[in-house]
Amino acid sequence: MQYFLQNLVNGLQWGSFYALVAIGYSMVYGILMLFNFAHGDIFMVGAYIGFFTATGLVALAAVGNIILPSWVIITLTMLIAMFLNAFVGMAVERIGYRPLRDAPRASAAITGLMIGIILETGNLALLGASRRAFPPLIKPVTYNISGVFITNQKILIIVVALSLTFMLHLFIRHTKWGMAMRAMAYDFVITPLMGVPLNTIIALTFAIGSALAAAAGVLFGIAYPVLGPYMGIIIGWKAFVAAILGGRGSILGSAAAGFLLGFIEIFVVMIFPSTMRDFIAYSIILLILTFLPNGFFGEPYSARLRL
Amino acid sequence: MPLLYVEHMTRFFGGLRAVHDYNFKIEPGEIHGLIGPNGAGKSTIFNLITGVYKPTEGSIHFRGKNIIKYPSHKIAALGLGRTFQNLRLWRHMSVLDHIKMAQFSQITYGLIGAFFDTKKRNQQEEENTEKAIKIMELVGIGKLTDQLVPNLPYGLQRRVEIARALAINPKLLLLDEPTAGMNSEELQDLVNVIRHIHDKLGVAILLIEHRMKFVMDLCERIQTLDFGEVIAEGSPEEIQNNPRVIDAYLGKEVKI
Amino acid sequence: MKATGSLPAGRSKFKIYRDKLLAPYIQVPVLGWLAGLLISTLLETFIGPYLAMVLGMSDVPALFGFTVVLKQPVLIPGVIIYLLIIYVLPIAIGARLTKSLANYIAGKLQQYPFWISAVIHIVLLYVVINTWAVMNDYRVLLAKLIMIAVIVTLSLNVINGYMGEFSCSHPGFIALGAYTASIITVLFFVNDSVLGAALLPPVLAPFLFPVALILGGLMASLFSLLVAVPAFNTRGDYLAIISLAFTFIIKSLLENLQIFGGARGFMNQPNLATLPVVFLWTVLAVWIINNFVRSTLGKALNAVRDNETAANAMTVDTKKTKMTAFMFAAFWAGIAGGLFAHVMRYVNPGSFGIKKLAEVLAMVYFGGLNSVIGSIVGAVGFNLLSEMLRPLEIFKWIIIPLLLILVMIFRPTGLIAFKDFDPKKLLRAKNKKEEDK
Repeated sequence: MQYFLQNLVNGLQWGSFYALVAIGYSMVYGILMLFNFAHGDIFMVGAYIGFFTATGLVALAAVGNIILPSWVIITLTMLIAMFLNAFVGMAVERIGYRPLRDAPRASAAITGLMIGIILETGNLALLGASRRAFPPLIKPVTYNISGVFITNQKILIIVVALSLTFMLHLFIRHTKWGMAMRAMAYDFVITPLMGVPLNTIIALTFAIGSALAAAAGVLFGIAYPVLGPYMGIIIGWKAFVAAILGGRGSILGSAAAGFLLGFIEIFVVMIFPSTMRDFIAYSIILLILTFLPNGFFGEPYSARLRL
Repeated sequence: MPLLYVEHMTRFFGGLRAVHDYNFKIEPGEIHGLIGPNGAGKSTIFNLITGVYKPTEGSIHFRGKNIIKYPSHKIAALGLGRTFQNLRLWRHMSVLDHIKMAQFSQITYGLIGAFFDTKKRNQQEEENTEKAIKIMELVGIGKLTDQLVPNLPYGLQRRVEIARALAINPKLLLLDEPTAGMNSEELQDLVNVIRHIHDKLGVAILLIEHRMKFVMDLCERIQTLDFGEVIAEGSPEEIQNNPRVIDAYLGKEVKI
Repeated sequence: MKATGSLPAGRSKFKIYRDKLLAPYIQVPVLGWLAGLLISTLLETFIGPYLAMVLGMSDVPALFGFTVVLKQPVLIPGVIIYLLIIYVLPIAIGARLTKSLANYIAGKLQQYPFWISAVIHIVLLYVVINTWAVMNDYRVLLAKLIMIAVIVTLSLNVINGYMGEFSCSHPGFIALGAYTASIITVLFFVNDSVLGAALLPPVLAPFLFPVALILGGLMASLFSLLVAVPAFNTRGDYLAIISLAFTFIIKSLLENLQIFGGARGFMNQPNLATLPVVFLWTVLAVWIINNFVRSTLGKALNAVRDNETAANAMTVDTKKTKMTAFMFAAFWAGIAGGLFAHVMRYVNPGSFGIKKLAEVLAMVYFGGLNSVIGSIVGAVGFNLLSEMLRPLEIFKWIIIPLLLILVMIFRPTGLIAFKDFDPKKLLRAKNKKEEDK
């Protein structure tokens, strides 16, 4: 039982990354019906921005001899990374997707894929192949709750991921901008005619998605403090699967699917050898998709490629 | 035996009763009309007959077969051609390919022929091309073979749809608002075309239409639909003089 | 292309000049071009090495000198001279000089059954490729890989272009074909530490190799049902995600099959995929796929893509059509995988992941959707480019994606999209007045 609970917590943590990245995929997919294949690498960029910000802040504090409490550094890192990464996302949209808005969606997906490769390679070219160690921002404290070990990092990651998800959900449900996004997801052609600024909404979508990816990146750096240029591939593609699994454009759905994917992966490792992880996890997904064709919360997929 | 025989057909969409207890009968070679205000369920009836939707209740017999369980393409292959209210043409295909595509079920060369360019395949493709061109000439688009459909004017696109429906060797042709969006000149052409194919091929026609003149000119019998139910049925004269039809649909502009 | 009296306003001097320059070549039939190419490659075989030495290069430039130039920019003039003497001039002059003869022969061939003309052209093409490639081992390998890429691209184009779905499962199919074919050949013809001694004499290997390949293709075809059945019961973007999961599953499965080397890979494949073998399979693939997409049964894919409801109403059995095409494409991907395994004589699961996916998708969309010619151009162009830019090392992977983005922005469906490929039209004589156009 304790073992189970322990893995539940681990799954929650692991799923947090998937969930936050999956939301970005799902939002773009909901509005543009587009696979934003660059999103995994936007997550990577976010993690690196977080890395530089955190390192900078730590160094700054050391130089200025100021004692910054770690929560201040974390909060600042998070906010700065989210803010800057939002612009990365908007830039990707502006360069890669906007010129292709009337083109077949698959073509736009290809540009996304290529932008992703450019981001990876650019990182590799600028920073070299060496991996970066994320500065330890929190002194790990382990709580033992009746045999289940929970570190303060895990709590932080899970709480931040969940609260960001719910904040976004509220934003989408209850604000004017959120309503515009939902309308856009419903009808991409008519909504702009009703006075909703198309480009602004799409840019906002990318900005929010990328900001969440940056948050995921920073959290990832805190939990697994080794960053590499290809880290986006590992998380990104799986999060993409989760996004679709959650259902089209459903924030909570994709977050839930992200957590589910995290659970599946952790529990598979619990029972089977870890090399079987991908095989079993994806087989389960294939089964779920076979029997729940619309994902968990989404509407049925009816759109086809605009070719 | 009637060509198409629909009995007690009902269809719900969620809580909405789109079609209720619909009965219909058409003999070979007849031209029938189906009129009614927007949202009366006319296109739904077409979609039910052609198998796009399945009826909640009732039975549909076409050429003596109960086609309720048939998939859409099989119903079509039995000889039920149709056009669509909003044109549903294939954007990247030439006009000739449209017509040839409708002969899909008549192809017997199979995958072997498709893969290996056999004699049988070439023969059949050639025959189909010839047949297709004949049909295109019948409808008056004989010279458009290699054109892509999006480049054609609206009236001609309508004709491509009709030609395509004719290519499946239909015994019954369902035309869903064939005159929508046409000007009066194109309209007159279309009447002639429909008369022509009816006379030449002896195919039965059921058409949905809003233009009264068109319906009254062409049809032998007319059904009027409102809220998914038939409110009147009869010859054009009877329909014109039916008070319920006037109330529900024609309003005061019935004088033609 | 005659320059008429009143020129359109937008026509620049350059364009007029270009048209004048190209005018004599409009009437050159494919046969003439092949003759030019043959002259050029023969020239390279005989005087290429000496010329290269004279011009200061250590060896014949393997890939039109790009690699050399990027490493040693001093050699740019030498390489240009080499290209002119060996390639441009012989091809141009050869094509022009043999024009009337080639047209005569092509015209004569039109009177015989088409397959005679086709075989002659194919043999000539092979001779050209062979003389070009045997200059060094690198070229042979590259030629084989490019031809395999052509098969892969074509087969993916059937799904992503002709059918208009977005499938990510090709790396999985390629892997299945590669492993199945490898296992069969290693089991029967190689003394392997795992699969035991060879069961059959190696003399039989070339004859059973096609069988192994086909079995690999069928395996891929069979597994494609895992994707097709759930994906085509629903509609839309579902295929993308299921097929992606499929690729991951296959990769992970192969990593866990310790008997076939697991993540370390599987090696010792016999050297069966020689240049002529790969060439023949490529020709076969192009021919069959081209036949398929041009038949009404194949064009039904376009109908399904452009409007499925209408396709159904026009007697097209859409579900069966989609399934057939998907399995068909998987089959060819499997064949390509089998060839790939025997060209490299080593496969490992790592090479059938996301990177492979990005590569095959790039080739399809670069070349052009819904187009056989586009696929060939895409595969050849992408691979040549990728090899030529090799000296740039990592920056290659910035330049190629950038190029692809530009292609997507300016030609969203690829370079040569929606182009029919009619072999009969392609191979006929060009001196007569063209009936069409």
